[in-house]
Amino acid sequence: MTFDFVEPVVFALLSIGVIAGGAAVVLLNRITAAALLMAFTFLCMAGMFVLLGAETIAAFQVLIYVGAITVLILYGVMFTKFSDGPRALLFKRQTPIAAVIVAAVAIPVALLSFSFTSAPPRPGGGDLPALATSVFTDFAFPFEVASVLLLAAMVGAIVLTRRDDPEEAAMRRRR
Amino acid sequence: MTVPVGAYIAVSAVLFFTGCAGVLIRRNAVVILMCVELMLNAANLALVAFSRKYGSIDERGSVFVVFVFVIAAAEVAVGLGIILSAYRNRPVVNVDEIHQMKG
Repeated sequence: MTFDFVEPVVFALLSIGVIAGGAAVVLLNRITAAALLMAFTFLCMAGMFVLLGAETIAAFQVLIYVGAITVLILYGVMFTKFSDGPRALLFKRQTPIAAVIVAAVAIPVALLSFSFTSAPPRPGGGDLPALATSVFTDFAFPFEVASVLLLAAMVGAIVLTRRDDPEEAAMRRRR
Repeated sequence: MTVPVGAYIAVSAVLFFTGCAGVLIRRNAVVILMCVELMLNAANLALVAFSRKYGSIDERGSVFVVFVFVIAAAEVAVGLGIILSAYRNRPVVNVDEIHQMKG
């Protein structure tokens, strides 16, 4: 018995998730739901990276996009007021449905994860050694430039969002 | 890989043009930022797919994906900073109504 059919099926499911999620981000008027669906799109994209054999990139995708960028965007949604009314209580009415869905997903996952014995890691460590070698040899200069860019972006974001202290501004005006 | 590389490129193209349409038709600045992220992610998928299919063993395409991650993080931080500081001056996030930065 071969498992050749698994990869196309998983690919089809992930591509449906990616495309539907992306379309929902563009079409939905609820900003909070759009941001969460963007996280879902990024998660499906991480699955595609795993399917392509780029596990390290998938891990970065989950860490940076699903973790950091989605949280930043949600903070941006929180700090700005939108014209589409008070829809902040997005999950209030759906609590029983949410409980059923979480139970239906979490219980099988927990049973499966406790019944599996973990596979031994692949010899050679996946795609990480090749990636790391490239980054620190051929692309060492772009790597350093990228770190300077991150520092500049950090300082720039702090300067842009810093609230002007009224006392300080008054002192500057006096001078 | 049993899935052809063209399928990954097709998904990438669809997602890219979805994001592109979002940038063009939406008026909310935060949504525009999300759509830009979608476009960057679509480009990442194309890079990884081509790197897997045609690349040598040293993963050059994936290295560029790492740099795209850095650019995306920096872009979101600075973009949200700009949106928030513009919002503080005048509480609108509709890009049609933000005229102050026009020259």
